[in-house]
Amino acid sequence: MSKSRLLTRAGEAVLLIVLCLIIFGPMTGLALWSIALRWYWPHALPQVIGPDYWLQALGLQKSLAIGAVSIMGAFKTSLIIALISVVLVMAVAIPAGYVLAKYSIPWKSAILLLFLLPQAFPQQPVFVNLLLLFNKLGLAGTVPGVILVHLIVGLVFAVWISSATFKSIPPELEEAARSVGASRVTAFFRVTLPLAAPGLLASAVFVFLTSLDEFTGTFFIGLPFVTTLPMLLYSSSGYNLQFASVIAIILLVPSILFMVIIERFLKAEYIGGMGI
Amino acid sequence: MPALRLVNLTKRFGKTVAVQDVSLEIRDGEIMTLLGPSGCGKTTTLRCIAGLLSPDEGDIYLDDRRVTDLPPEKRGIGLVFQNYALWPHMTIYENLAFGLRLRKIPKDEIQRKVSEVLATVRLSGFEQRYPRQLSGGQQQRVALARALVIEPSVLLLDEPLSNLDAQLREEMRFEIRELQRKFGITTVYVTHDQAEALVLSDRITVLHGGKITQVGTPKDIYNRPSNKFVAGFIGLTSFIEGTVVGFDETRGYAIVKTSDGLEVQARSTGLHSQQKVTLAVRPEHIELLPGSQGLSRAGEVNVFEGVVLRMAYLGDTIDYRVRVGDWVLRAHTSTNMVLNHDEKVWVVLSPDQITVIPE
Repeated sequence: MSKSRLLTRAGEAVLLIVLCLIIFGPMTGLALWSIALRWYWPHALPQVIGPDYWLQALGLQKSLAIGAVSIMGAFKTSLIIALISVVLVMAVAIPAGYVLAKYSIPWKSAILLLFLLPQAFPQQPVFVNLLLLFNKLGLAGTVPGVILVHLIVGLVFAVWISSATFKSIPPELEEAARSVGASRVTAFFRVTLPLAAPGLLASAVFVFLTSLDEFTGTFFIGLPFVTTLPMLLYSSSGYNLQFASVIAIILLVPSILFMVIIERFLKAEYIGGMGI
Repeated sequence: MPALRLVNLTKRFGKTVAVQDVSLEIRDGEIMTLLGPSGCGKTTTLRCIAGLLSPDEGDIYLDDRRVTDLPPEKRGIGLVFQNYALWPHMTIYENLAFGLRLRKIPKDEIQRKVSEVLATVRLSGFEQRYPRQLSGGQQQRVALARALVIEPSVLLLDEPLSNLDAQLREEMRFEIRELQRKFGITTVYVTHDQAEALVLSDRITVLHGGKITQVGTPKDIYNRPSNKFVAGFIGLTSFIEGTVVGFDETRGYAIVKTSDGLEVQARSTGLHSQQKVTLAVRPEHIELLPGSQGLSRAGEVNVFEGVVLRMAYLGDTIDYRVRVGDWVLRAHTSTNMVLNHDEKVWVVLSPDQITVIPE
């Protein structure tokens, strides 16, 4: 191996280490904090470590000494809300995105703007207003109420992404299917939908993660009866850094899981053929 | 009985009329080209035939069956697009089998039909590949096969060669022509490329501004353009405008006088005196003579004095622009005939090779 190539290799290795530090460095801190039972300055590493906070959070140990509660209830609530939000959002976003992409409908930009509107104002006033409305409708403090809020947040992105996805598929592909005998519905399900799947999946994942992380809306509409994981995280982050770290790591897991899924689907074979 | 008949077809997009009152009969087994510049309505017409657009007025008949209101999947028409439009998530086999499976044809018959049609487009053995693994020319052959495998009554091709490079395009012209002959399938071919149209077609329909301007065989269209647009669009043409002032009865020529005083004789076809006409001449029908040679023929019928404005060496010929009176004529000569810019030249026009277009 020549000298210059050796240097390039070394440079690449250094760059990779720096990147890893940037990405995983802060997470190492989280991991350390989540198992730290005692960690005082100026020690670089925790003095006493143990899985107590994890066991406590996962509901496997019920000690009153370390001021942490089981997060399993909140985790379940978060997951249910996120999953239902994804299903409902996609049920609206897929047809809406398709119609917006394929047909020239009157008031198209006005409709797209309507979806954006809730994001155009500061969140707090919007949600306080919504709370007043939801109080009247009996939705405040209920899971359906929180889901509705998450829908408002998720729909914007989902409709925009799915409309862009459908727009990127050449209309001739569907027309060719029609010409060989496929009905409108068959052509959609056999040609357009499979080709749009990666983009739609990406937007579903996005909605899922947004819902899982959502704080402001849930805070106004859900509390005190609906507690999601971010609620717990915010309320414990001030006084119990270990417990907050455990929740943060648990919140990270679905994100990383979905990143892997997205990456797999976006690399799927047929994407390469899309550049017609 | 025509295989495909368009009757007073009109299609508007908002206020613009894309296709206006187009009536056309396409015979069984012929290849008809819709030729015209972009925006002439050729693709709109094709999409109406395919059922992808519904016309505002008029009717479409397939084998005397009115199909105007049928959705595309019920028409049994094969379609080939400029961008091939192969389904990227399916293998070549699946692309071809898709339409057959929808028809509930038994599996072994599908296999037989697919391998048969792949053989005719010389792509046997490509069944398990994906479209992106094929070259542009191969993809377009698969697209052709996909349209043919369902045994359509009519095949529609929308600029199928425009995405290919020049050399491949030329080969594919013949290939399409051969396939069409082999299957004997009635074909409508849309293109803006006049060379393609001349090579491929049994007949050509020239469209301009949403209207039909001429229908005829390639020879007709090239040699006897019925109007100035067709003459100018197909091949290179020089125009001279003038008025009929008399006739040479013995030879059957009309004498046309231009505003700048030239007298040109051309074969008369039912012209009358004082009629305003446009004379169209192809560059290969204009003879150029250098000064010394031409001088001896000065004064003869259809011999004019001119000046070379511009020359371009094209390899096999030289393309000259020559000014004669107020007119600029384009002539193609052999490469040993070298004239310089501003050089005096004699232009000879054969009266039999001038097309007279009445105003």
